[in-house]
Amino acid sequence: MRLNILIGGKAGQGINKVSGIVSKTLISQGYFTFNYRDYPSIIRGGHNFNVLSVSDKLISSHESKLDIIIAIDELTKHIHKDELKKQGIIIDYKPFLNFGRNLNIALSGALAKALGIPKKTLLSQIKGNPKTNNKQSLQSAKAGYKSQTNRFNLKKLNNKLTIMSGSQAVAIGAINSKIDLYFAYPMTPATGVLHELAAKQVENKMMTFQPEGEIAAVNMALGASFSGARTMVGTSGGGFDLMSEGLSLQGISEIPLTVYLASRVGPGTGIPTYNMQGDLDIALRAGHGEFPRIVASPGDPLESIEITNELMHLAEKFKTLSILLSDKHVAESEYSTNKKPNKSLKINITRKLPHEQIVKSSSYDTDDYGLTTEEAKFAIINADARLEKYNEIKKATKAFNMTKIHGKANSKNLIIGWGSTKGAILDAIEGEDFKFLQVLYLKPMSNKVKQEMKKAKKIILVESNLTGQLGRLIREKTGISIKNRILKYDGRPFRSDELKKQLKELV
Amino acid sequence: MKKHKINTQDKKGVPLRTIQSSSWCPGCPDYMILESSRRAILSLIQQGYKKENFAMSTGVGCHGKIFDYLNISGVYGLHGRAIPTAMGIKLGNPNLNVLAFAGDGDTYSEGMAHFIHACRFNPDITLIVFDNQSFSLTTGQATPTSQLGYKSKAEPLGEFNQPLNPIHLALSAGASFVGRCNARDEIHTQKIIERAIQHEGFSFIEIIQDCVVFNLEVNNRDKRMYQLLDKNRSMKQALKYAQEFNYNNENSKIPLGIFYQKHRNSLNEEWPILHKLAKSKKTWGDLKK
Repeated sequence: MRLNILIGGKAGQGINKVSGIVSKTLISQGYFTFNYRDYPSIIRGGHNFNVLSVSDKLISSHESKLDIIIAIDELTKHIHKDELKKQGIIIDYKPFLNFGRNLNIALSGALAKALGIPKKTLLSQIKGNPKTNNKQSLQSAKAGYKSQTNRFNLKKLNNKLTIMSGSQAVAIGAINSKIDLYFAYPMTPATGVLHELAAKQVENKMMTFQPEGEIAAVNMALGASFSGARTMVGTSGGGFDLMSEGLSLQGISEIPLTVYLASRVGPGTGIPTYNMQGDLDIALRAGHGEFPRIVASPGDPLESIEITNELMHLAEKFKTLSILLSDKHVAESEYSTNKKPNKSLKINITRKLPHEQIVKSSSYDTDDYGLTTEEAKFAIINADARLEKYNEIKKATKAFNMTKIHGKANSKNLIIGWGSTKGAILDAIEGEDFKFLQVLYLKPMSNKVKQEMKKAKKIILVESNLTGQLGRLIREKTGISIKNRILKYDGRPFRSDELKKQLKELV
Repeated sequence: MKKHKINTQDKKGVPLRTIQSSSWCPGCPDYMILESSRRAILSLIQQGYKKENFAMSTGVGCHGKIFDYLNISGVYGLHGRAIPTAMGIKLGNPNLNVLAFAGDGDTYSEGMAHFIHACRFNPDITLIVFDNQSFSLTTGQATPTSQLGYKSKAEPLGEFNQPLNPIHLALSAGASFVGRCNARDEIHTQKIIERAIQHEGFSFIEIIQDCVVFNLEVNNRDKRMYQLLDKNRSMKQALKYAQEFNYNNENSKIPLGIFYQKHRNSLNEEWPILHKLAKSKKTWGDLKK
């Protein structure tokens, strides 16, 4: 069973409120949900929509054909009516216009009834939120509920589920790692983590700081890490570019640093609120000089919690640069799950700190005492030490899930992907003859990638970018060039039904 | 990983001085700024400050070499970034006494945004700018404080931009402690640095110094310098004194000393968690989470 519900309207009309109320209600009924958010860089007006996908099984994507359209304005009907299935329905805003700003609550009520959710469950969800726990909201919900008939008859299931966005997950991962300071300058789609942590900072005895820019953020984070605080910075592509010199400073000063990079459509300001896996290259290479780093990318919120923790752990352990590479699709989509993340690793600060003794960290090449030197002897010693450190990192990362295998284990059709494409790939290959190799650690990269490729007859690369950046990385590491590529670079994530068709055409 | 044999030993007979031999030009007033800073910290240690609690950041330029000579903890940061690095060090441990050493090119060119925002944020750090009115380590190009007409390899037709006045700017941007020193007057400079470190909030000291190789035109101005009376003054009065010297090589007087000092809540006082750490003398690592 699977339903796709599109909720559309102008920015500011409360689209997220509708999907939020309904998805929480569905979760409590034991249904898995996935909520995709599509919005332009506009605060009021324009056209925003969410696609809420619902199933009795675990899902992590949305589809192209719709069962229900909730139209909060005329434009929504106009744009999306062709995506509606034959038996699909449109729930129109017009009968509820007199509810004013509670229009969205009335529509939530109507949707709940159409899905067959008991009224009591819906109302308890609305009462549970202090913002909607008032007479007007409840009346609107009831009126909406009354306006529809039960069409989809979703009976209660026994699944115990939670719902989470990638941004919430990164914040949880950081809090699990006992983060002390988070530095970030606002930039979509990384801002979600700043907001999450800012809201939770007091109860978690940590602090978020919004400095004058990304250059300040990265240098402050290095300073704070030097004094012994567990730190992280967060940004998107443009801000990450500004941080590059700071990353290079990390390389020589060996002050632990974790960077959250949530990418969006570039180059330049690009399409700022849409999705692209276009920043793998800069994650791998930004910063002048040669120095070790770790780059890993989660494919969903659960992995975001785990990898945030792993990267903060590794950054401190190896006094190195860790880059958590995510994107708009993972950061801002809401995923439901019945699983729990792995137990968190401890971040132990064992290095000497400035209040204990004299500690010097430098952007220059240094001698045995941490003081500047230009001697050839030390240039070699220091460079070799950086290389040796990377070898140690390679060994240590083997303990983590650097890759994952999904789908049919003995299939000769191998799909390779990373990050946010995981969701659509998993749903697309359900029950089909495909094996999916998900690459979580991009640097270092596991030997498993080459081994799996050697076993496969057909290899298909799936990425949300123009040039297949993972494909190029794999060719660099293994010498194998992947001929079959499904690349999507319109800023919109893969929809699993469309991807399924594309994959099947290739085999 | 590289294992540093961290050397906490001072040069024999010179407390707080590392064993590294110096590489500033002979006769450079940077030696004197090092000495004034060293004596100021030493004096504060004698007054009860802990040596381990001092930390510094530097930018990159001639001034930055102080990192290798002053035997306290610190980060030799990037060009222009001494201020955010110092702010980070302070946020990472609110009990440290943090000094940011920076140059005029460093602070007023590459790092100008940080300078203005530090005045606004009011972190409890001390910024000491070595102002020789030229980019000397890169062979003498004009900085934002170079005087009109200054000729260099990069400005062969002479600098035609008005120099900016950092004292005036810091006051306008809300700095809670603004001072100026003459590098050659070690006793006065030491005193002002001590006062700046003791000040709770962002303290800015601009140290006027000669460059003995580049921009010789603005050397030897001691006769034009005079010390301001050590007293509280209003912003209006402070701005008036700030405008006495416009960084061009004219015959105006050059006031030294503390232009302005007024307590305003620092980051340590504004943020509850920082306040708690500072008050209880604890570090982030001591918090039970």
